[in-house]
Amino acid sequence: MMHSDIKSRPVYQALAPDLAGSRHLLVVEGETLVAGRLDELAGLFAPVQATLHTWLAGAATPVAGLGRLWQLESAADVVDALACASRGYGVGDRLYVQGTEPFLWSVATAAAVVGFGEKQLRLHHAGSLRRRVWCTHCHGMTEGVTTSIVACGGCGRHLLVRDHFSRRLGAFMGVMVDAEAPGEVPAIEEVFA
Amino acid sequence: MIGETLRLKVAAVADIAPGLRHVRLVAADGGKLPPAAAGAHVQLVLAGATRTHRNAYSLVSRPGARDAWEIIVRRVPTSRGGSAYVHESLQAGDVLEAGWPGNLFAPVRTARRQLMIAGGIGITPFLSYLAEFAFSGVEHALHVCCRESERHAFDPWLADRPHVAWHWDADGHRLDIPALLAAQPMGTHLYVCGPAAMNDEVLAAAAAAGWPDTHVHCEHFGSALSGGEAFRAFLARSGIEVDVAEDESLLDAIERVGVKAPCLCRGGACGVCVTPLLEGEAEHRDHVLSAEERAAGRLIMPCVSRARAGRLVLDL
Ligand code: FES
Repeated sequence: MMHSDIKSRPVYQALAPDLAGSRHLLVVEGETLVAGRLDELAGLFAPVQATLHTWLAGAATPVAGLGRLWQLESAADVVDALACASRGYGVGDRLYVQGTEPFLWSVATAAAVVGFGEKQLRLHHAGSLRRRVWCTHCHGMTEGVTTSIVACGGCGRHLLVRDHFSRRLGAFMGVMVDAEAPGEVPAIEEVFA
Repeated sequence: MIGETLRLKVAAVADIAPGLRHVRLVAADGGKLPPAAAGAHVQLVLAGATRTHRNAYSLVSRPGARDAWEIIVRRVPTSRGGSAYVHESLQAGDVLEAGWPGNLFAPVRTARRQLMIAGGIGITPFLSYLAEFAFSGVEHALHVCCRESERHAFDPWLADRPHVAWHWDADGHRLDIPALLAAQPMGTHLYVCGPAAMNDEVLAAAAAAGWPDTHVHCEHFGSALSGGEAFRAFLARSGIEVDVAEDESLLDAIERVGVKAPCLCRGGACGVCVTPLLEGEAEHRDHVLSAEERAAGRLIMPCVSRARAGRLVLDL
């Protein structure tokens, strides 16, 4: 489900520090940490440790070597923290994020508001494939979608979850699946576990 | 209409400082000029004493102005002839041929803050930027590095503009580029226009400070770049042999013998004039070809580049 013929479907990168950057902020969604991953990140980011800040969101056991470490509860806290710290960022800074797609794009869209350009940002997907889905009918967001079809949290329509992705909204597109034949909803499968 | 030329009439010429001439141009038929946005330039055909020159000049008039365009021309001692012509011969009432305005240096309008660094006459594109930024309200700053004596030449464009700082070559007045770049907030875009050495210094400082290249923009002006040793070129398709003089660009020489060649910036910046090189070794002076393309030796930008040694054969 990470590969698609739909061009808007984002492709993610492995994380490594961009040595051209002046300061580095690493944001990690705790639930996506498999055993040893934080140590691995500490190793990868060792060359920039002196200018590294790491924010861990959610449950995570910190390790040494991640620069200045800060623990936050959730993606919402990361978004708030980014906005509060905005006075201190510079054009030479780099932001790296590891997490599920809803987490990555919550951080990426908040970073864009702060003024981070595309080349200052690296996103690495890990963990669940769950999606945030944007309803093309009521424009409501449905969070944590793991199935091929989902009832919209806003209007209740059955939405087919597409691979079409909006970077502005940080969400996949959902379109009414039974618009032509009301009530005929195909089998719902768990595809984004 | 692209490809057609415009006819412009000189409405006024005025010397705003020694070696700096301001020229106001209107449509020769009394009509309106095409609109041009901040950062635009216009290519003028200037009939010199020995041959015709085509020089590109930034428009310093208010962006979008339809009644008149204004340019400022610096007299270059080792001029290709165009600037000498403007300073010695051009008079109100003269009619010039001109290309349609082009723009290779438009500001990025999603920027949070616009930081401009100008070297000398490189201030010209920023005069139109300032007019736009004052109108749009985007945060901005212009740093001008120039001779102390020329500080006030641009006052008519800058008088009521805050956010302009002046720097010149004296202790306490030089621009500290790394310190300036370090002090910029997120979302700043940097623009630089000046002599090659200054441009290179600013670009290197930005790279060293970690600025992504998406946030750094540079306009090179090519006028001083195109001369060199005389050489010969053979235009294979036209079957014409051309002598390129010391003070003449390859492109000027090609046009002189009546062969049409596409071009836009005439300064090695846009890539429009790219021409297949069939034989010979080029001295590349453009900012378009990659290191690999240069090494391959199959392409040349005749507006600025010349022969390293011997003859060039072009597919023209
Ligand atoms: S005309 Fe623009 S690169 Fe030659």
